Order: sequence, then C-alpha cells, then structure tokens
Amino acid sequence: MHVRHLSMALAVPLLLAAGPYDIPLFATPKVPAASGSARLVFAQSPFGIAVTADGHAQYDVKITAAGLPAPSSLGAYKAYVAWATTPDLQRWDRLGSISNGTTTVGHVALNKFLLVITAESDSAAKAHVGPTVLHGTSPSGWLQSFLNHPMFRGITG
Amino acid sequence: MSARLLLLAVSLGIPLGVGSAQQKRDPMSGMDHMPGMKHDSAGMPIPMPKGMPMIPGLVGLVPPGGTFLPAAGVDLDKLPAAKPTQVVHVKDGDTLDLTAMLVRRTIRGLDFAMYGFNGEVPGPLIRVPQNATIIVRFHNRIDLPSAVHWHGVRLDNRSDGAVGVTQEAVAPGGSFVYRVHFPDAGVYWYHPHEREDVEQAMGLFGNVIVDSPIADYYGAANSEHALMLDDLLINGDTLVPFGREGPDFALMGRVGNVLLVNGEPNYTLRVRKGEVARLYLTNAASSRTYNLSFGGAAMKVVAGDQSRFEREELVPSVVLAPAERYVVDVRFARPGRYAIVNAVQAINHYKGEFEAEVDTLGHVIVDATPVKIDYGRAFSTMRANGAVTSEIDRYRKYFDKAPDKQLTLTLQTTGLPLATVQFMTIDTAYYAPVEWIDGMPDMNWLSTNKQVRWILRDDATGKENMNIDWHVARGSVVKLRIFNDPKSFHPMQHPIHLHGQRMLVIARDGVPTGNQVWKDTALIPVGSTVDLLIDASNPGDWMLHCHVAEHLGAGMMAVMHVDR
Repeated sequence: MHVRHLSMALAVPLLLAAGPYDIPLFATPKVPAASGSARLVFAQSPFGIAVTADGHAQYDVKITAAGLPAPSSLGAYKAYVAWATTPDLQRWDRLGSISNGTTTVGHVALNKFLLVITAESDSAAKAHVGPTVLHGTSPSGWLQSFLNHPMFRGITG
Repeated sequence: MSARLLLLAVSLGIPLGVGSAQQKRDPMSGMDHMPGMKHDSAGMPIPMPKGMPMIPGLVGLVPPGGTFLPAAGVDLDKLPAAKPTQVVHVKDGDTLDLTAMLVRRTIRGLDFAMYGFNGEVPGPLIRVPQNATIIVRFHNRIDLPSAVHWHGVRLDNRSDGAVGVTQEAVAPGGSFVYRVHFPDAGVYWYHPHEREDVEQAMGLFGNVIVDSPIADYYGAANSEHALMLDDLLINGDTLVPFGREGPDFALMGRVGNVLLVNGEPNYTLRVRKGEVARLYLTNAASSRTYNLSFGGAAMKVVAGDQSRFEREELVPSVVLAPAERYVVDVRFARPGRYAIVNAVQAINHYKGEFEAEVDTLGHVIVDATPVKIDYGRAFSTMRANGAVTSEIDRYRKYFDKAPDKQLTLTLQTTGLPLATVQFMTIDTAYYAPVEWIDGMPDMNWLSTNKQVRWILRDDATGKENMNIDWHVARGSVVKLRIFNDPKSFHPMQHPIHLHGQRMLVIARDGVPTGNQVWKDTALIPVGSTVDLLIDASNPGDWMLHCHVAEHLGAGMMAVMHVDR
C-alpha cells in the first residue's frame, strides 16, 4: 500500500473544500479549546492582482480566532501576534497582533509560508519568543512533487 | 472513470491505459502541412521547460484535428519584410486603408512568413482626436477569413468587428468598411475577431491613441511611446503550428517562449537622464499575463483601459492581463541601462515548487545628457483627477446593490489523454491565482477545442456561453458578479472583456476597490469573485468573452444585448 499516495488522495478533497485562499488553523496543546482560520485577501492594487516587482502575490491576512484564553494564562504574556514564516523557518515576518474574533493583518508576500500565532509579552513584539498557539499552512504548501510519481517513470500512460 | 476513481488508482500505483481513443499516436500525422518543420534538439514537437520531460503517456501524441501553419509553402524571399510601426495621424472624417497581408519577419535571425497590417508589425499606430469619426477600409489579403475588432472603443455596433455577431468574416480577397467613432480618450487596440489564436499571434494587432482636447489631460512628460507586448512560440527554427479545425493549447492558451515588444525580441528605447517617458502599454499576447518593470526606475500608473485613474499611484510593476492597457509614466533619473523585465513566480509542477522567472524584453538606454526640461517635480506629484471622480460619483449609488447578473467561470473536458487527466486531477490540489507561465506545455498543446469547452455559466438560468442571451435596457447600470470556480478540472485566470461598453471593477472578493478607472477588460483570478459595474449606454449586440484567444475559441463567450 502506498501510504503517502493514499494520504494525499484523502487530503485533496479536504483541501478543495477549504478554498484556494483559506488556511485552517490548528491549535497546539497549549490552548486545546482554541480554533481558527485565515483567509488570504489580495492587497489593494490598481491592477487585477496585487504582486511585488518580482512577482510574489501580496495578501492581507484575515484571521478569525475563537477560544483563545487570556495570554496571561499561559505565562508572562500580554498579546497574541501573527507571523508568516517560510517553511524552513528562516524568515519570520510580523503581520500584527490579533485576538478572538476577526482581525485583518498584513501584508504577506511569500510563495509558501506557515501562519503562526504566538503569545508574546508585547503586542508590538518584533521577534517571536513566546509559545505557538495556532498554526497553519498556506494553500500553496499543498503543491506536490511528482518527480517520482509513476506517471513520470513511465509506469502509466 | 470518474476523477476521484482515477485519483485513487493513481494513488495506489495501479497502471492505467494509454491515451484516449480520440488522440492520434502518429507523431507526424497532424503535421503534413508544415514543410520544413523541424523539432528542437531534444526531438520534442513543442519546446518543454528546461529539464522537464514530456509525460511518457503523452509522447508521440498530436492534437486531434491536425495542425497547420498559415502561409505554408509561400516563398519567403517574395514576401515584403515587415516594417516597423508608422504613426498615422487622422482627423474627423478621414479615411484609412488597413490591409491584412503576409510579411516576412526576422526574429532572432530566423525568417518566418507571418501577418501584418499594412506590412507593419505592430500595425499602424492610429492617433486620433477624441470624438472623431473615421472610415477604415479593411482589406483581407491573408489566407484566412478575418475582420477587425476595435477593442475598447464604444463605437457603433455595426462596426464592432465581432464575427458571428455583428458581421460575417471577410473572406480572403474581400473588404469591409468600418465607421469608427472614438468617444473616450485613452489607448485602444485593434485585432481580428476570427481565429485570434492564429491571426493575432501571427502579428495582426495595432494601437489607437485617442487624444483628449484637454492640454494637461495627463501630467507633463518628455516623450511618449506605445509598447505592444506579445509572445511567440518557436520550436527550433519553426513556429509551433496551430490547430487546423480550432485552437490547440485550449487548456491555458498558447504561451510563447520568445517575448516581444513591438514585434522585437530585444526592444531598445533611448532616453535622456531625468526624462519622464510616457508608456502606452498593451498586452496583445494570446494568454500570457505580464508583470512588467523597468530596471527599478520610478513608475506611476496614470490611466487604464478607457480612462485616467481617479488618482495617480506609484507602482513597483505593471500587471497586464491579455487585452488590458495601462498608461504609465516612468522617470529615468540616472544614466545607464535599464532592463525591461517580466518577473513572475512560476510554478514548477514537477518539483512542486515556485521558481522565480525573469525574462528580459529589452532595455532602456539612458544617455548622460540631461533632458532639456526636467519634469521631476511634476512626476513626483500624484495628481488627483477630479473629473474622473466626479463622473464616477454618479455611479457610486449602485456599488452596493445586489448583483443583476452572476456568472461562474468553469470548463468541461472530454477525450483528453489519460495521462493529462491523471496529472491534472492530482495537480490541482493547489491552484495559483494566476498562472504566469505554461509549466505543462505538453498537456496544453494536446488539448483542443474539441476536448475542452470553457464556460461562462449564468447562475440564474444555468445557460451557458452563447445561450445566455442577456437583454438590458440602454442607460441601465448593470452589476455583474463573476466567480472563477477553483474546483474545476483546470482552474485558471480569465481576462473578461465586454465589447462596446465601459465598466468599473468595484470589488474583489468582497473588498471594495479603492481607485477607480473605466475598464473594458477585467482579470478574474482563480477562486476570486469580482464585481463589475457596467455602464450599458451603447445599444447593440455586444460580446462578453475571455480574452485568452484559445479560451474564446473553446466557447467562452456570450452576448449582451443593450436594447434601444
């Protein structure tokens, strides 16, 4: 049984149900009652799509969270802050502070990224230090490599 | 077999059969009208992205219906060499002859038999005062039926050039007279509206600049230049042939591998230090959306398809979907060489990764001699165009009304090669808002309008494409909501063009747009919902269609009747 392929087969319909700009957020054990989602909304632009000069799509991030406890209940924290980070975790872009309810923060202009919500001691925190409470993956993170797929090895077709 | 079952079979590694019954296997069977055609060094019938093989299940297939190259067999030496564009100044009441004809074009040292209007590529740049009416006598001297559409111009319906709606195609050797009225200042273009996938790609397009009587309609600039963007698909020493019975490359349109500005692969513009150059940009490509910049030179966008913006804006780059136009002012502050680049984040579907792709279209050479009049201060001032805002204010009361019409953009396929179906089914786990390049030219090439039907679907009636048949009253303001379905077999962006009217893009995904401009073509990214407000002021039968030439050829069109 090709477990990886089977998991992909099951995952794809779930993703399609979510939509191309939607990011389900998953709670960490720190906040088991929390939940959330995010939606990528194109930044304002005079053109049909907002992109940077090198072609990265530019989004505002609309985050909806529920069940987040008071940050202080997790330690010496006063705020929740949203970050966009590259999959290798080398680059972290601060998006803005959030709370329960819907907050629009931004911009993000990364091809693939993780959306991470952390508890921080300062709502203006410039670097992430505190614990992660919610996290998700940009829809572009679902891109698959097919280099070793049977189709390209001539097994099918 | 359903897509889901196919997906499961692929996931389990179950070997599946070869191509569909409709797909021919003989590699040369569809190419019998291409004397001298050579494959590239890798032996591929079409160029593949570097390092990417054709999918084994597609090797040897050709598009059903056969292929052809226009002007095949013509002696190249007897064709006139294509000339650069000439500016033709016309005034109210003038008559212009416009002849579609065969020309010889030399691109990267290779000669090709192609098309041009009046022997020029792009065709003559028609410069006309606002509110003028001219007579254009069109003569078809190419080997295919043709017509001329005056893109974006709110003219008399009979002169719209929409084959099958406002006129019959003009047969080779025939003529047609257009009476063209230009009510709006701006940059427009003309092109055939018959087999655009062939005729436009072969060079039949040209600009019209309509000059306002207002002296400072735009801000101050030292020079003006019209740049028509285009791309050409070349394999080895040959143009990649076209579908004989209808467009091939039907899935995402023909995306060229040689990018051209005004027909040249290495366009050069010479200016002086400090010069503000006004650039009239038009995307005449069949399918490619551009993200254009000028070596980091400061740039502001001042106008769009049919009007100035409410406010000028500094921009890092210009995004142009097919058929869109923008007017930008670019200031070259320092001497040197500025690359004109199209920079995008392309998807490598094989690796599942984004890859930066930068194509250099040409250069702007900035001389060290300062420009005589320095408009630097005017350039740095972002003008507010009160007249535009005042006019649009009359329409703002309609912005929040419920949509009058709603369309969903999708497609149906049948008989595509099985390998294409397999791959597409799993590859659409993620779909980019805009596909900037053709990452799958093998699958794309093998799809024709016999297998792919692109669809505009009226949500209210379920009617599709030419069965939609909308009627609206002249003078009405129509709110049209368009949703580009991301769950289709091949989600892709669509530049939707409405003939003969003007419209505003008032919201994208529920977010109001902030700086209005009158448009005739609007980009609808994958998964997006875009609200358009149509000023239905011009009576007649007007086409509404996708301006990806191959999508139009695969059915993605409707007619809106504006009743008198």
